[in-house]
Order: sequence, then structure tokens, then C-alpha cells
Amino acid sequence: QQIIVKGVVLDESTKLSVIGATIKIKGQNGGAVTDVKGDFSLNVKSLPITLLVSSVGYKNQEIDVYENEPVTAYLSENVNRLNEVVVTALGISKEKKSLGYTMQELKSKDLQNTKETNILNSITGKIAGVRITNSQGDMGSSRIVIRGETSIAGNNQPLFVVDGVPVDNSQLNYGGATRDFKNAIADLNPEDIESLSVLKGPNAAALYGSRAAHGVILITTKSGKGQKGLGVTLTSGITVSNVTTLPDYQNVFGQGSNGKFSYVDGKGGGVNDGVDESWGPKMDGRLIPQFYSNGVAVPFVAHPDNVKDFFNTGLTFDNGISVAGSDAKSDFRLGVNNQKQKGTVPNSEVNKTNFSINANYQLSKNIKVGVTADYVVTSAPTLPGGPSGNRAAGVMLQFLWFGRQVDINELKNNWNNNWNNSYYSNPYWNANYNTTSQQRNRLIGDIHLEAKIIDGLNFKFRTGTDYYNDRRKYTIKYGTSGTPFGSYAEDAYTVDEKNTEAILQYTKKLNEDFSLDALAGFNVRNRSYANNYQKAPRLAVPDLYTLTNSRDALTSSNSFSKLRVYSGYASAQLGYKNYAYLNLTARNDWSSTLPSSNRSYFYPSINGSLVLSEALNLKSNTLDFLKIRGGWSEVGNDADPYQLSTVYNFQTAFDGNPIQTSSQKKLNPDLKPETTRSTELGLESSFLKNRVHFDVAYYNTNSFDQILEIKTTAASGYTSQLINAGKINNHGIEIQLDGTPIEGRNFKWNVGLNYSSNKSKVEILDYDGKIQNYTIGSSGGVDVLASVGKAYGTLYGTAYLRDANGNIVVGANGLPKADPQNRVLGHYTPDWLGGITNTITYKHLELSFLIDASVGGKIFSGTNRTGIYTGVLAQTLPGRDAAHGGLNYYYPGNNTAGTKTLLTTATAPNGETVYDDGVIFTGVYANGSPNTQVISAQEYYKASYNISEAYVYSSSFVKLREVKLTYNFNKKLIKKIGFDGASITATGRNLFFIYKSVPNIDPETAFNTGNAQGLESLALPTTRSFSFNVNLKF
Amino acid sequence: CNSTLDEINKNPNATETPLPPYLLTSTLKQGADLYWGSESNFNSSLLFVQQWAKIQYAEPDRYDVSNTSFTSLWNTGYSTLITDLNTILNFSDQQANSNYKGIALTLRSWTFLLLTDAYGSIPYKEAGLKVTPAYNTQKEVYTGLLEDLKQAQSLLGTANGTVTGDLAYKGNIAKWKKLVNSLRLRIALRISDKEPALAKQAVIDATTDAAGLISSNSEIFQFVYTSSPQQNPASAWFETRDDYRISKTLVDKLYELSDPRLPVYAQLPSDASVGKYVGGANGLSNSAANSQGFAKTSKPGTYFLTSQSPAVIFTYSEVLFDLSEAVARGYIAGDAEQFYKNAITASFNQFGITDATVISNYLNQSIVKYDATNYAKSIGIQKWIAFFGQGLDAFAEWRRLDYPQLTAGPATVLDGQIPSRFFYPGTEQSLNGASYQAAVAVQGKDILTTKLWFDAK
Repeated sequence: QQIIVKGVVLDESTKLSVIGATIKIKGQNGGAVTDVKGDFSLNVKSLPITLLVSSVGYKNQEIDVYENEPVTAYLSENVNRLNEVVVTALGISKEKKSLGYTMQELKSKDLQNTKETNILNSITGKIAGVRITNSQGDMGSSRIVIRGETSIAGNNQPLFVVDGVPVDNSQLNYGGATRDFKNAIADLNPEDIESLSVLKGPNAAALYGSRAAHGVILITTKSGKGQKGLGVTLTSGITVSNVTTLPDYQNVFGQGSNGKFSYVDGKGGGVNDGVDESWGPKMDGRLIPQFYSNGVAVPFVAHPDNVKDFFNTGLTFDNGISVAGSDAKSDFRLGVNNQKQKGTVPNSEVNKTNFSINANYQLSKNIKVGVTADYVVTSAPTLPGGPSGNRAAGVMLQFLWFGRQVDINELKNNWNNNWNNSYYSNPYWNANYNTTSQQRNRLIGDIHLEAKIIDGLNFKFRTGTDYYNDRRKYTIKYGTSGTPFGSYAEDAYTVDEKNTEAILQYTKKLNEDFSLDALAGFNVRNRSYANNYQKAPRLAVPDLYTLTNSRDALTSSNSFSKLRVYSGYASAQLGYKNYAYLNLTARNDWSSTLPSSNRSYFYPSINGSLVLSEALNLKSNTLDFLKIRGGWSEVGNDADPYQLSTVYNFQTAFDGNPIQTSSQKKLNPDLKPETTRSTELGLESSFLKNRVHFDVAYYNTNSFDQILEIKTTAASGYTSQLINAGKINNHGIEIQLDGTPIEGRNFKWNVGLNYSSNKSKVEILDYDGKIQNYTIGSSGGVDVLASVGKAYGTLYGTAYLRDANGNIVVGANGLPKADPQNRVLGHYTPDWLGGITNTITYKHLELSFLIDASVGGKIFSGTNRTGIYTGVLAQTLPGRDAAHGGLNYYYPGNNTAGTKTLLTTATAPNGETVYDDGVIFTGVYANGSPNTQVISAQEYYKASYNISEAYVYSSSFVKLREVKLTYNFNKKLIKKIGFDGASITATGRNLFFIYKSVPNIDPETAFNTGNAQGLESLALPTTRSFSFNVNLKF
Repeated sequence: CNSTLDEINKNPNATETPLPPYLLTSTLKQGADLYWGSESNFNSSLLFVQQWAKIQYAEPDRYDVSNTSFTSLWNTGYSTLITDLNTILNFSDQQANSNYKGIALTLRSWTFLLLTDAYGSIPYKEAGLKVTPAYNTQKEVYTGLLEDLKQAQSLLGTANGTVTGDLAYKGNIAKWKKLVNSLRLRIALRISDKEPALAKQAVIDATTDAAGLISSNSEIFQFVYTSSPQQNPASAWFETRDDYRISKTLVDKLYELSDPRLPVYAQLPSDASVGKYVGGANGLSNSAANSQGFAKTSKPGTYFLTSQSPAVIFTYSEVLFDLSEAVARGYIAGDAEQFYKNAITASFNQFGITDATVISNYLNQSIVKYDATNYAKSIGIQKWIAFFGQGLDAFAEWRRLDYPQLTAGPATVLDGQIPSRFFYPGTEQSLNGASYQAAVAVQGKDILTTKLWFDAK
């Protein structure tokens, strides 16, 4: 009898039907061609058979058919650049060859299984021109910048658009830095993502208008399209992480000062027992009373791992299930995913659950409706303590002011025990009692409609929302050092962004040679924000965390903001003979944040592409594809709400008398929109039978009329003023190279390489030329500036005083002097970034590893500054005793208030005590003669604490970012046990530094997601993680 | 559509309409916080004049500070106090009566005085008017302030309307007029070593003005705090932290003089076995400071550390010391010694010591007696004691009178010198560079030991 095998052929990435694909039966005659829906049916005599599926632009695929059930064949695109289709602005799919700008896409397989809890981190190193820095620890936020900082003062993060809905990525209230509240885009579940396109800057993103100047990340989530019948996917993963980049501690000298220490009460009652530094006695087992010994002298010995042992092994469990299905009229996908992360800092925990739905229904022949929704519940009972100088929570703060002899187990076993009572509470007390929780409930979703009006003319309507509540609770326990009554605060945010758009799209083949693809649309954007903060500054009774349990009046504040932008836009693409394309866009915005006279602003873009290989018929055995492209674009940008009139704020009333005071920020009633103009040129080529693909882009971006909150001297009446000036230039190149050096039936080796270099220059701040510097941020005495004539992100701070020959000048006391004039100490932006991914596939096994590099740029390290001052770092060993090269000296007459006198012998002239911790600072006196004054090692290492220059390091690094090993089970075998697919993956992330030059920290560490980078401030160590994932499909 | 968008952009968080009484309350509160608070007072000037000492985090006590250490006096002084006061001064007569303006001009003069005393040359004439205002020399500032106060005196009048929001004098304009004259007297003596003729005329103007001077302890210009979170800033500090002790220099001097103010100024150490007042030494290394023992040293007196403790800004005793000096300098006629004795008596009364025998016993000690051959020494030492807690003015008077003779602590970093001024905020270099460079070129390097113009010796 005849068996009829039915099936469908789909594009692997777009899940759209492949029309006209050829199906043959291996070793037999006969075959079929897919219809407009991608469907086919075949008559066969018996099973099993092997189907051979092929289509132009796709790789051939073999499918084994064992039983008579519908077959779904996914064809993966051939690297033939002629047919590549990508998702562009407004979610419109276009042939990549028609684009006049560069764009890069990541597919779900590049994102899933990395098990980063912040999706941005999975992009690191994979896309040219994209720089990602994660702030700290294993639960922190990440900052992403595309093609350099184009805004001097504003947010430089790209716009995120998920299934057409703009999604918020703010990091609310990072200012206090006591905790790092993750940036909002981390709410997304990587497993839900089908593809991620990076539109780099205005050229690609002009249609998005105001927020496109910094680029757009377009995310398309998975749908049920192409899923024949019901498909269930189960994913399960476990990730183990450990802290790396802990400081390199010394283990020779313990707590104390001037070599002396003895514990009585931990706050100055004993000998130096209030000192939280490690300039004490040698840890040679001598007997000294310690914090846990009740006055009994016990061996004073090193505990080399006392910091490392504080940290736990982080564990993340990630489990998800999704169900997808489709039929002729509808498709859907439902997913739920739970991620439970126990952090490396004790008691830290974050849980995240995503519920997602993506459904479409063909209402009638011409009308299709759909809905997408992602409901995310992020619940963190305790976030790890952040980097700031907060003693009640800061983790590394305490471990950089520390006693190297401290036995962490004595602290772990009794949280009331403490090694130091003048400054800190027990670190376990802090971690377990002084907690900050976060609960974020979020809905991202839309409903959309697509209608075909007449042939070629389509109407699209979409209304979407991104709404979330974010509540934080801060508790400090009664009895915490520095906060004896404890405290409790609540901080609540509501952010709501709604966008509604209507688009008419017209596609027409004008004649034999010309085609037209045009659209016109209108968008209304409404955003609102509300914050309410209340704090009980001192609790009335312990352990009750409510706002009414307060000794004092509550401190509170709230703020609200709203904005609305109307936008009209249009674009047209004119194509000629499949190889020449001209693209035009135009957009006009009307923003509520600008004064009515400047409210409306228009901006156009133009770009074109020419496929030379087709146009000039250059195709040969070596050259497959050659395209040149170029474009010019402009985008405008509005201001934040309420930046027009200076206001007077009310503060907490005094005893019945209201208090009103001028805002220290002078606002500007004449604001104009900001403008960014960008030119881009590029060349793309494939050769050697598409084995090598090369893409190079050059761009030049000028941003001007920037809205800047310029810091001004307070003597002007305001500490800052809002001006409309400022011009910054960014230009650079990006290179992407993909190659397949080896491709055999069972073995394939693929190399992907990306390189980008961006140079920025701040050209103008104010048009009068009076203002030379804009302060982006400050930490530890170092300012990060946008300084006229220099690269963005100049580090500026105190330097050593030097003579004309560049020698450091010391005083008569032998200590270095600070130059009263602050100096430029470098800039934080790197010179170039690069990444290389190697993927080796052997039969069912796939191994990939990613190495990425960031070269150039400087970082000011608070960890090194503090750890050197406190003598805990290994760097502070040289000179501390004779064994470490210390010089001998004595005080004449043993008068320790007198001057230290260098000795070249082992004994002093009159038998005075001889010290062996002498060091001479390399420098000269004011008269130019070399310094000869000996100082103690303790003085030496403390001498530069207020000289920022001493703690500025190169932030260059090369990192083995990711190694991933995947085993895809043989489909034939698993089919027998009822599965459609199964894979297991083992991934290692942040494995090690191949190169870095800054000691004791991870140079990638960011201060926050704002622009004030290059400042490291006692950040939590970053983590290395290993994860193991199982993916089952049936 | 435009009006809808305008409506959306109307700020719901703050008002664009300021009101004079609320601005006045704000200035008084924030001015008191600034004058009595940490950065300008107990973490800097009180340490320099050795009234307080640090027992931990001793860097400021060793003068190991940077040009970010003195920013709040500058920033709050200019962008909060002076800006709010200028707002009142710029009101129309309908919005604020002449008394509000007189008070605003008085408080603005006081703020400028604090600024110039601490930093030297400062933006004065162009302050609040330009983005990068030029600096004026101290001479220009002091003479300008004398003119400003003359004008303030003429704006103030009991018939010129009522004032509310005045937490210092409760709307009593007569008292404000006395404060104006007292400030003129203070400024006159600041410049007396440099511009004696001008100083003399200003003293005569101030002392002959019909409104008079602060003339009793009930007329002291001060700000009285309430309870948390509106408590005294020093009190707030001691609630959560334990960084300061009364200075050993002062305790030793008070013991030497058998001064009955000692139990008011200091607490007994918490370790009862010590049994006497022990000051903390200034200018020690952190470990040496720490080793003095938290329990074995005296905190400042509870008089200064309750929630309701006042921030004292201008005392009756200062007026009397100033009159004593004005006589000694020959600016006005009178009995310098009697003014001196009355000044000490006023200080005793201010701190609740009223027993006439105790006072006369004290005054009759040879080491207390007025030394007509060296008025600066007598007045300098007694003013230093009487100014306890008023760091910025104690610092200014010590620099001017050069008494008491203080010695920098052993671990200080200025080659044995004590600071003579504050650093300008480091941000002046980047934000107002040209003006800053021009000022430094005239005044001398922007370092702590550069002597200011008024500090003649």
C-alpha cells in the first residue's frame, strides 16, 4: 500500500514557511515541492526512509522518517549573503543585502545555555562595537554601550525593544550604591529569546527616533510558528559559581599598628585593638589575646583564606518548560521558567519566574491578531552588600580594612562576636541581619493586529505596555555598629511605559527592475514614573521592621514624572534589480518635555547598498559576494521631564515651620532637542565558497546641542545649570570576520572574530567656551570628566608633585607631596575591543570557546588604594621587615617623637632600639637632591592615600570568557524513546584572565550602569561559573 | 495638543513659587547646620584651634586633608544660603517687606564673612550673577560687607512690617538691628591690623548706631534645635559615632585656670576609675589617637550634645570682648579691662555659671587678669575659651590675635605649622578655572598654610 508522508519546511530562524523547497527520497525516485504554506506530501512505499530537503539559500538537510507522522524540516540558511533576512527597525524583516548599515544578530543558541543571570552578559565579546561591563559580584547589573558614548551627560544605554514593545532598562536608585539593583532588562529570560539584533546607532535605528542615538537592541521572542502539533521543551540547568579576582592578601603581619596589637574590647581598650588595619605583629604564632579568647593569649597566626572562606559557592537552579503548537489558523507558545540563585555572599538570594505567552490567530483571510506577554516576578530576599562605604552592609569594605589573623570561623560561629568594634559589625551579622530585599513584578506585552487591505498594502496596529512595580525594603538591625538603633526603609517605584502605533506598509514591484517597499506610521508614547520613599531612622524596638516602629518622625520623599511623545514617521526602500537599494526615512517627534516653541523636531536619514558581485557580475570561484554600503542619518532627542523652570523644594518642616529652598540646579526654559548625526560606510564580502565572510564598517557620529547639566561653581548661585550645548564626536571601525577553515561531513571548525575601535573627542561644552569640563562622576577624589579636547571619560585627580625632571618631590619628612594642581590621569574608554569565538563540531559534539579583550583605558582602584593603606595586600610586604628588604633605622636617644635615622649597621650608636621596617620613598627634595629620609613601611604605604595617581591602572585585559560543550543526541536514537530532540551542555563562564595588569580586582568592574566608569570602589569580586544544562524536546 | 503637552510637563514635585518666611526658616536652619556641623566645624576648624580632637580617623586632625575636604561651606554657603537670600532680596515689595530684605542682607553678609574668613579671596560682587564669577580680595569683601550691613540696618525697622519664619529672633526686628551692629563690630576688628582707619570708623559707626549692640545673653544670635531628625548636628553625630574628644590643649588650659566652665565643656571619661577630665591630644597618628582609650578620655560636655543644644552664632560675650579690644586699640573710649571682665562674666552666665564669688575668684587670678601690655594675649586666650564650639570664628580670631599659642601635634603633615585657611574646593579648578587662577596668583598658593590678608602676622 501507499503511505502518504506529510510535512512542512520552515526557516530555522524565522520559522516562516519555505516555499518551493525540494524534497527527495534518498536512494529512491520521486519527490515533492513545498507549496505557499511550505507544506508537502509524498507517496512512499515503506518506512523508514530518509528525506533530502533542499532549497536555494539554505543548506541541504537529511531527515529520517520512521513513522507516518507529520514531518517538520527546519532549514538553516546557507551563509549565502544574497538571501539572508534580518529583522530591522520596527520589526520589519528585510534582506540584509539591501541595508545601508551594519547589523549583527545573535540567535537563541548563542544566548541560551550560557546561564548568565543577566542577559547582557551573554552578549559580551560576541558583537563588534558593543561594550558590556558588569558592575560587581554575581547578582549585579550590567552596562552596555554601542559605538562609544554619544551623549555627554545622558543615558548612553541603547533602547531595548521586545517584540515591538520598548522596554525599560533603567537602574533605579543606584546612587547610594549600598546595593546593586539589577538593571531592568535582566528580567528577560534568555530561553524565551529567538533572536537578538543589534542596531548600532542612528543609521540603523533612525526610525526609533529620540532614543535611537545610542542604538537599539531588538529582541524577538520565540513563538509557536512552525510547530506541527504540540511541542514541549524542557530545560533544566544548574550553575555553580565561585568568587575569583579576590585581592592577593599578605599573610605575614596581622592586625594592629606599628607592630603592636592586643585585644581587650575591640575599640581601643587594648593595644591598637580599635585599629582595623594589618600593621600589627608578625603572625608567627606568638601568644596574644584575640577577640574570641576572652583575654587569654592564644597563637597569633595567619588565616590566609579568611576572606575567601567568607564567600559561599553560588548555586543557580534554572528550570523551564514551554509548550508550543500551531495549525493553519493559529500558533502559540506558553512558557514558564524559574531561576533560583543563591549568591556567593552568604544569605544573598534572587528568584525570578517568567510566564510568557505568544499567540497569533488568523481572524479572517486578511486579518491576523496576536498577543505577547511576559510576566516576570523577581524576588530577592537579600541582595549582596554593595561597594559603597556603608559599614552596615559593605562586604569588601570590611575585608579591605581587616586583620589578616582573623579566624573567620570564629565570626561565623557567633555573630555577636566581632574582631573590631570601632567600625564594623561581624560580617555574618551584616549579611544576615542588615538586608535589602527587592520585589519586582513586571508585565511586558502587547496586542497587535495585521490586516491586508489590498495586495501589497498592509495595516499594522500595536499597543504595548511595560509596567512594573519595584519595592525595596532596607533593614538594619538594632545593635549594628554605627547604627545602634537600627533602621528600616521602604522604597517603591512604579514605572509604566505605553506605546501605541499604527503603520501602513506598501510593497510593490514597480516594473521588471524596480521594487518599492514603503511605510508610514504614527506612535504615541506615554511614560510615567512614581517613587515613594519612607524611612524610620531609628527603631523603637528591635527586630520589628515597620515604618511605625520608629523613635523619630519618618523621613520621606516622593516624586512623580510623566512624559508624552507623539511621532510620525515614514520610510521607503527603492530596489533595483536585486542589487541596488536606496533607503530613506523621516521622522517627526512632538515631545512634552521641550518648550512649545522647540517641541516639534524633524530628522531624516538616507542610506544605500550596492551588491557589486551582482551588479558587476564579479562572482567567481573565489568571490561569492561583495557589497558596499553607506548612509547618513540624523536623530533628535528630547529632555527629561520638568527641565524647564527652576523650582523650590520643600524639605521636612522644622517644628511647624515649612522649609523651602531653591533647587541647586538651574533649569532652562529655552531647551532645544539634542541632535546626533552619523555617517556610516561599509563593505561586506564572502569568498572561498562562502567559507570566509568579512564585514568592515566605519562610522563617524557627531552629537550636538546636547542637554547638559553642567556642574558650575556654587558661587554662580547653583551647583549645576542645564544648558543646551556640547558637542562630542565618536568615530571608529568595526570588523567582523567569520570563517570555516574546516568543514567535513562530521567535523567542522568555525571561527568568528570581531574587533572594534572607537575614538571619542569632546569638542565643545558651552558655546561661550567658558566651561572646559563636565563632571560625569566622582569617587575617592577622582573626577570622571568630559573635558574639552579630550576623550570622553577623562580621569582627573591629585597627582604627585614632580620637579622639572619628572621626579616625585618629597618633603623634609621623606613623604611625597601632592601637586596642588589636579592632573589628567587617563581616560576610562578602551582603545579597542575584540572577541574571538571558535566553534568545533564533531558529529554530535559541539565545543565553543570565546576569548575577548579590551585594550587601553584606565581604572582608578579603590580596592588597591584601601588595601595598600591598610597593609592587608601582598603588595605591602616589601620593606616591612629585614626579610622583606626593610632598612634598619633608630631614633636617637630612643625618642620616638624624633627623627628616624638610617643605619647601615645592625646596632645603633648608643644602643638604641633598631627597627628593620625602614623604606626610603624614591623621590627628590625640593632642591633636587635625592631623598635620604627613612620612614617606616607603614608610613610608606599610607603616604599616597590621597594621591589618586598612585592607584590608577591600565584596565586592559584578555579573558577566557566562555567555554561551552554541547552534546546533541542522535535524533534517530531519541526518537525511539519519544523525544524530538535532546541536548546536554556544559558551560564555563569568566574562566580566567589570560592577561590583565591591574592587581587585586577585575578591571571589567563598573561602578554602576551610568557614565561614571573607570572608578572601582571596593567592588565585590566577580565570579567564575560552571553550568550544566539539559534540554529536552518532545 | 500643545497645551496638553504643556500640562503633562508641569512639575508635580515642587513649586516654582518661593515664599519669604519659608526661605528664611530654611536659611536659618541650613546656616546653623553648616556653622555647627561636621565639615566646617568639628572635623576641621575646631581641630585646628585645638578645642576638639579626634580619637579615630585622625587624618583631619593631622591636617592630612585634600581639596575635597572643605566643599560644604562653599557649596551650601553659595548655592543654598546666598541663593535663597538673594531670592528674598529680589522679591518685589509686595512679595516681601523691607524687614525680610534687611534680614536677608544681614544673613547674606554673615555667610560671605564665613566664606572669606575661611578661604580668603572669594566671589563676592559677581556671586550668583555669573556662571564663572570673578573672585574679590578679602579687602574688597570686608569693605563691601560693611556697606551691605549699613544698608541692612536701613532696611530694618520695627514699622517696616512683620516677619514670620524667623526661628532665631521670632520676628523681633530690634534684635536683628543689634545683630547688624554686632556684625559690623566683628568685621571691623577682622580688618583692624590691615585697615586701622577703616576699622576705627566702622567701630564708631557700629557702637554709635541708635539700635545698639547685642546687650545681654538673651539676645544671643543662635539657632535652637528640637528633636530628631531636627536635632543638633553634633548631637546627631554622637548618637551613632564616637570620633571626637575635647582637646587636651583646652582641658589643660582650663585646669590651669581652674576654670569652672570645664565641667560644662567636658564629660568625665566613661571609665569611672579615671576620675578627672582628660582631653584627647591633637595631631596624633590613628593608632596613637586610638591608644588614648575611648573610655579614658573626655567627650565634649552634654551641654553641647543634647538634641536641643543650640548652634550659637553670635554671643553677648563676643561683643564685650570686641569692645574691650576696640578700646585697647584706641578706636573708642572706655575701660578695656572692665569690658574684658564683663565678657568673661557674660560667658560664664551663658553656660549657667552665675555664682558671683566663683566669678570674682576666677577674674582675680593673676593668670586671668587683663594684661594691658598685651591685650591680644588676654583677649585671645579668653575668647578662645569662650568660643568653645564656634569653630569657624574661633579659628578666625586665633589667626588674628595669635593667642593662645598652639603647637601642631606630633604627626601633623605641615612641617609643624597649623592651617591658616581652608582649601578652595577642588572643583573650582575645573569649573571656574580662570577666576580661580587669578585669585591664587594674588593671594598665594592654594595650600593650607598660606596666610590670608586679614591674618597680618
